[in-house]
Amino acid sequence: MTKKDSKLRFLANSLPVETEAWRGSPALDFIRRDLALTGTKEGCREGDCGACAVLVGERLASGPGQAPWVRYRAMPSCLLALGDLEEAHLLTIEGLREAAASGITPVMRAMLDENGSQCGFCSPGIVVSLTAFLLEGPPYSIESAIVAVEGNLCRCTGYGAIKRAAARLVAEFSSLPTDFLARVAELEKAAVIPASVGAFARGELLPANVAAAQTQPPGSQTAQPAPGAGPALVIAGGSDFFVRNPKPDRREPLALLARDEDLRGIVEFPGGIEVGAAVAWRDFFSSPLVRSCVSGIGAFEGALASILVRNRATVGGNVANASPVGDLTSILLALAAVARLRGPHGERELPLERLFLGYKKLDLLPGEIIASFLIGRAPGRVFNFEKIAKRANLDIAAVNSAACIELEAQPGRPRIARARISAGGVAAVPLLLEKTSRLLVGREAEASTALAAMRQAMAEVSPIDDARGSAEYRKKILGRLVLAHFIALFPELEAELAREVLA
Amino acid sequence: MSRILESELNVQGLTAYIDDSDEPRGMLHGTLAVTPCARGRLLGIDPRPALALDPSVRVLSAACVPGENQLGASVPDEPLLVEGEWGFKGQGIALVLAATQAMARKAATLVAIDYEELEPVLDAREASSRGSYILPSRTMASGDTSSAFARSAIVVSGRTESGGQEHVYLETQGAIAEPREGGRVFVLSGTQAPSGVQHAVARVLGLSMNAVEIETRRLGGGFGGKEDQAAGWAALAALGALATKRQVKVYLSRREDMAWTGKRHPYSADFRLGLDAEGRILAFEADYYQNSGAACDLSPAILSRTLFHAASAYRVPNLRVTGRMCRTNLIPFTAFRGFGAPQGIFVMECALDAAARAGGWDPIELRRKNLLKEGDVFHFGQPLANCHTGRSVDRLLEKSGWKSLRAEMDSFNASHALEKRGAAILPLAFGVSFTKLVMNQGGALVHVFHDGSVSVSTGAVEMGQQVSRKIQVIAARALGISEARIRVESTKTGTVANTFPTAASTGADINGMAALAACEEIRARLLSFAAKRLGAELGNLRLEGEFVVNGCEPTDLGWNKLVDEAHLERVDLSAHGFYATPGLFYDMKAERGSPFAYHVYGCAAVTATLDVLRGTYRFDTATIVHDSGESLDLSVDLGQTEGAFAQGLGWAALEDLRFDSKGSLLTDTLSTYKLPDIHFMPEMEVEFLADAGNPKAVMRSKAIGEPPFMYGIAGYFAVLDALRSARPDLAPSYDLPMTPEKALAILTGAGAPAKGAQDASALAPPKPECAEGALS
Repeated sequence: MTKKDSKLRFLANSLPVETEAWRGSPALDFIRRDLALTGTKEGCREGDCGACAVLVGERLASGPGQAPWVRYRAMPSCLLALGDLEEAHLLTIEGLREAAASGITPVMRAMLDENGSQCGFCSPGIVVSLTAFLLEGPPYSIESAIVAVEGNLCRCTGYGAIKRAAARLVAEFSSLPTDFLARVAELEKAAVIPASVGAFARGELLPANVAAAQTQPPGSQTAQPAPGAGPALVIAGGSDFFVRNPKPDRREPLALLARDEDLRGIVEFPGGIEVGAAVAWRDFFSSPLVRSCVSGIGAFEGALASILVRNRATVGGNVANASPVGDLTSILLALAAVARLRGPHGERELPLERLFLGYKKLDLLPGEIIASFLIGRAPGRVFNFEKIAKRANLDIAAVNSAACIELEAQPGRPRIARARISAGGVAAVPLLLEKTSRLLVGREAEASTALAAMRQAMAEVSPIDDARGSAEYRKKILGRLVLAHFIALFPELEAELAREVLA
Repeated sequence: MSRILESELNVQGLTAYIDDSDEPRGMLHGTLAVTPCARGRLLGIDPRPALALDPSVRVLSAACVPGENQLGASVPDEPLLVEGEWGFKGQGIALVLAATQAMARKAATLVAIDYEELEPVLDAREASSRGSYILPSRTMASGDTSSAFARSAIVVSGRTESGGQEHVYLETQGAIAEPREGGRVFVLSGTQAPSGVQHAVARVLGLSMNAVEIETRRLGGGFGGKEDQAAGWAALAALGALATKRQVKVYLSRREDMAWTGKRHPYSADFRLGLDAEGRILAFEADYYQNSGAACDLSPAILSRTLFHAASAYRVPNLRVTGRMCRTNLIPFTAFRGFGAPQGIFVMECALDAAARAGGWDPIELRRKNLLKEGDVFHFGQPLANCHTGRSVDRLLEKSGWKSLRAEMDSFNASHALEKRGAAILPLAFGVSFTKLVMNQGGALVHVFHDGSVSVSTGAVEMGQQVSRKIQVIAARALGISEARIRVESTKTGTVANTFPTAASTGADINGMAALAACEEIRARLLSFAAKRLGAELGNLRLEGEFVVNGCEPTDLGWNKLVDEAHLERVDLSAHGFYATPGLFYDMKAERGSPFAYHVYGCAAVTATLDVLRGTYRFDTATIVHDSGESLDLSVDLGQTEGAFAQGLGWAALEDLRFDSKGSLLTDTLSTYKLPDIHFMPEMEVEFLADAGNPKAVMRSKAIGEPPFMYGIAGYFAVLDALRSARPDLAPSYDLPMTPEKALAILTGAGAPAKGAQDASALAPPKPECAEGALS
C-alpha cells in the first residue's frame, strides 16, 4: 500500500485532523498545543501518572475475509507516537464532554458525587480511564474498575473517593451488553460516550480521504526504510523510547511499529507459538494462545506495569530496550524464546539470551529489527514469575525472576528434566541463570534442591547499587525469589523452606 | 450532594492551570542554567554558545537583576541567581529565555559555566559537628528531666532517622509574567502565598509592591511545596518579562521540579524516655538534627513545630528537647504538610515502641495510660482545652474491634510461617495556628452585585483542599442565601492585600472568618435597610432561606428584591473583612506561651501483612476516628482526611528520597520516586467524632489539612509489629520510611544494628547540650 501523500489523518473527537506534523513526536504535545485540547494534562512524561491519558479507537485486522473490528483503549498520550494515531479515533476529555448536553457524563457525575476530584489535575485522566473501563466491556467488578484506574496517580484523595466513584459506576452499569456495538449504543444513550464513537465504530465517521482503511488497516509501509536511507529511528510502543526522549528531535527515516499488522500477530506453529514483536503486553497476556502455551502466565500481567502502560508497551520493545530489569524480557528468557530478526539481508533466528551483548547493547545488524519471538510448547512445564520493587504494583523492579521447570514423572517425587531461571536487575543485561538452571536438571523438586538453587543463584550474579536497591539486597532478594519460585510451583515445600528461611 | 463548582470544571477538563493558559505570539519561555554540583564557586559564565542557538535566546545572570538578588525571606541566604559560592546542585545560575520551551532547555545546557568544585556536606550530624547551622539551636524544657530520669524504673534511649519527601503536586511549579504599562508587572503564579510572591518579585525587580500584581487561579496541588518555593519561578518570569518587554513563561518539567525544588526535611534524632514501674512517662529528652539544606527557607518555623509536637499526644511532665537547623549542601528543604510535626511525633512513637519492649507493656495500654487529658499543660505552657484524645482512642479501639482484631492476628501469625500480620495505632493532638504569630491574620472582600449574585475574594488559595467550598458555605450561611449564588474568586494581591500563605491548615479558619466578617457587615447594612423599609424592629430581623424574616413572620423582602432596593437606596453592597486569630502569644526567650488557637484530635489504627520470604508488605486496613469539629462540609473533610493519611503512609512506608554521595538527587522522576498508587492504599474507614464543636474556629469547625497526615506513621509501626512476629528477638533501627529492602534486612538480621532500643542501665545517657540562644 502506498500513500497518496505524507499527511497524517485521524479523527480528534468528532473532527477530522490532517497534519504534516512529525509522526515521531509524542501525541501529548500535538493534543495540547496544536489541537489546543488542554484538558489532557502533562504530569510526568513517563507514563507513570496517567494525567495525559486519552482514549484511542483503532480499526484492527481480523482473519482473511473478515471485516476489521474496532477497539478503544486508554493510554498515556506522552508515550504515544503521533503517527500511531493514523486513521484512528483520538478521544480526549473534551470529546467525552460531547456525550452529555451539560458536558457532565455519568462517569464525571460519579466522581463529583463522591468528591473524587480535589486539585483536579488528575481528574480528566481518571475520567478517561473509567470511561475506557465501561467501554471495554464486561465483566464489571470493583476489582476490574480499580485496575482500570491503576495507572492514574492522585496525590490528593488517597483514592478512597475514586474507589467509591468506581463502585458507583460498577453498580450503575453492571448489565452492559457483551457485544461491542450494542454496548456502544447503550453507553451513547446513557451519555457516557459521544456519538463519534459509534459513528467511528460503524465506519460512518472517518478521517478524510481514508476510505481505504475500512477494508485495509494500516500496513507495514513505515516499518521498512527505503534502501540507502540512514538508520531508521524505530519506535514500537514508545513506553521506553519517550521516557528517554520526552521531546525527540525530528529524525527521518522513522519506523513506527506499534500499528504494523505484520508485527502484532500471535500465531501457532507446530510445537509452539510465534508472538509478533509489536504485540502489546495487554494482548500478550490476554491471548488464549499464550495462555495455553504457558499455563498460569495470565496471573502475572498486573505485576508488569499499569494498564495504561500495558496498552502501549510491546513485547519486542521491552527486549529491544535491553533494560537489565525488563520484566517481559525475564519472562521470555525463562521461556527459552527465540528472537526472529528481520533486516535488509533477510531473516535469522537467535536464542534470546544471545541477543544481549552488554549494557543496552544488542546483537542487531544495521537495519535489523526484532520481528517476533518463538516460544515452544512443553507439556509438563510449570511457570512462575517473581518481582520485587519498592512499590508492590506498577513499579520498575529492583530484581525480577522467571522460572520454567519441566518435570518428568518417576516413582516418588517428580524429577526436573529441564529448567530455566532468569533474573533481571542483577547484571548489565537480563540474565539467564545458566548455572542455576543446569544445577536443577536431574534433581527432584524438593527443599534441598531449592536451597541449592538459591545459593547458586546468589553466587552467579554480581549486581550493583542504585536508587532501587543495594547490591547486597539484590543478591539476597534474588535468593529469596528462587525459593519463592519453588514454593509457588511446589506448595508442599513451603513448611520446610519456611523453617530454613526463619532459621 | 452539594455542587462544588471547582470540581465540576475539574472533571470536565475545563480547569485552567498555569500550563493551560494561552501562549500569545511573542511569548518567551524561560528555564535555568543550574549549578552542576552540590557546592562550588562560580568563576564565570559564557552565554555565547547558548546565544548562537537562535536569535530569540537571551541569557540573564545575577548582574541583570535590577533589584535585590535575593529570595530569602527570613535569612538572606538564597540568591535568585548564583553569585560567587553556591550551596546546592540545581540552583539557578542564569535565566535562559527562548521562543520555545524546548529551545530554552537546550540553550540552558549550552551556557558554559566556569567553576571550582568544593567539598559538600550532606549529612545533618556532620554539619552539626562542624558547627554549620542556619540559626542557633532552640531548646524547649519543662520540669526537671535529670531528677525524673533518676527516679525512672525504665529508661530507654535510641536514635531515629526519618527521610525527606517529594510533594509531587501533579501540577509542577511555574509562573507567567506580563509587563504592563507604567513599568508594572502582572504575574500568574502557582503559589500558596500570592502576597509573598508579590513581595519577592518587587524586591528582585526593585519595584514597589503596588507595581506588582499576582494572581493565583488555583493549584494542581501544593502541600507546602508552593508556600515559600514558588517565589523564585515568579521572580524569574517577572525578571524576564521586564528585561524583554514580552510575556515570559517559566514552567518546570517533572524532572526539573524534582531536582530544583525543596522537599520535606530529613531528620536524625536521639531520644531518651524514662517511665515509672507502671509505665507512666516521667521524662523525655530529644535532640533533633534537622537537615535544613543549603538555605534557611522555612526551616526555623518547621523546627519550632517539631519542638511543639515533641510530646505528641502524651503527657510528659519533665521534658527537654533541642532542635538544630543543620546547613548542608542539599536543596533547601521546605514546608510539607505537617511541617516538622510528623518528624517530631515519629521520634516520640519510637521512644514509646522501645519502652513497650523494654517494660513488656502492651503498646496500646502504654499509650492510653499516657494520653493527654483536659487541663494538662504542654511543655511550652499552654493548657489543653476541649481535649478529645481519650475519647478518640476509645472510640477507635471500639470501632476497629481492637481486642478481637489482635487475637485474630495472633492466631494468624501462629499458623502462618511466611506471612505475618501487624497493627499499630496513632493517637493525635495537633496544634492549629501558624507558629509565627504575625501570620495569623487574613482578609476578605465581598461584593453583593445588584442582581443578587455574590463574589467572595480572600487570601486563601484553592489547591484542591476545597477551601473555596468552605468559604462558599460560610458566606451562604452568613447571608442566609443559597450556595449557588456565591462565587469564590481567584486570589489576587490587588483585591485582598498583605495576606499570608494558605498553609498550616488555617486556610478556612482565617480566611473563612474574614469572609464571615465581611458578609456580616453587609448583612447588617441590608437588615438595617430592611428595618426602615418594613418599619420593623431591627433586632427582630434576620436573613433566612433567601428572605428577610421578621421574628417568626416571613416578609415580602426576598434576597433579590432586598438587594435591588438597597442598591437603589444607595446602600454599600461591598465589604472588607479582616480576622486576626485572638488569644495567641509566645515568648521566644522563655519558650512559653499559647501558640495554638486549639488542637485537633483523633486516632488511627493501621494493619499490615508482611511477606516474610520476600520482605514485602501490604496495608490491609486503616481505621480513623477524627475530630473535625462541626464540619463545614463532611465530604471535603473526608477527602482531606483520606488524602493526608495517604501522604503520611507514603512518607512512612514507601517514599524513598535518595541522594548520591555527591548530593545529586537520585530519585528525580516518577519512575524512581514512588508515591502511593491505588493498590498501595488499604481500605480506609473514617469516622468523625460526634459532639466535637470547636468554639475556637469559624462556625465551630476545625482545621483539617495537616492533622490526618500523622496517622500514616501508624503504618510504619504496623509493619514493624509484623516484623517482630517473624523476628521477636530483633531490635530494629528506627529508620523511616520502611522499605522492602529495610524489611528484608531486619528479617535476615543484617543491617539492623540494635541502635534502636536499649536498656539504659547499659548506656550512658546522652548529655543534652545547652541552648545556644533562642531564635528571635
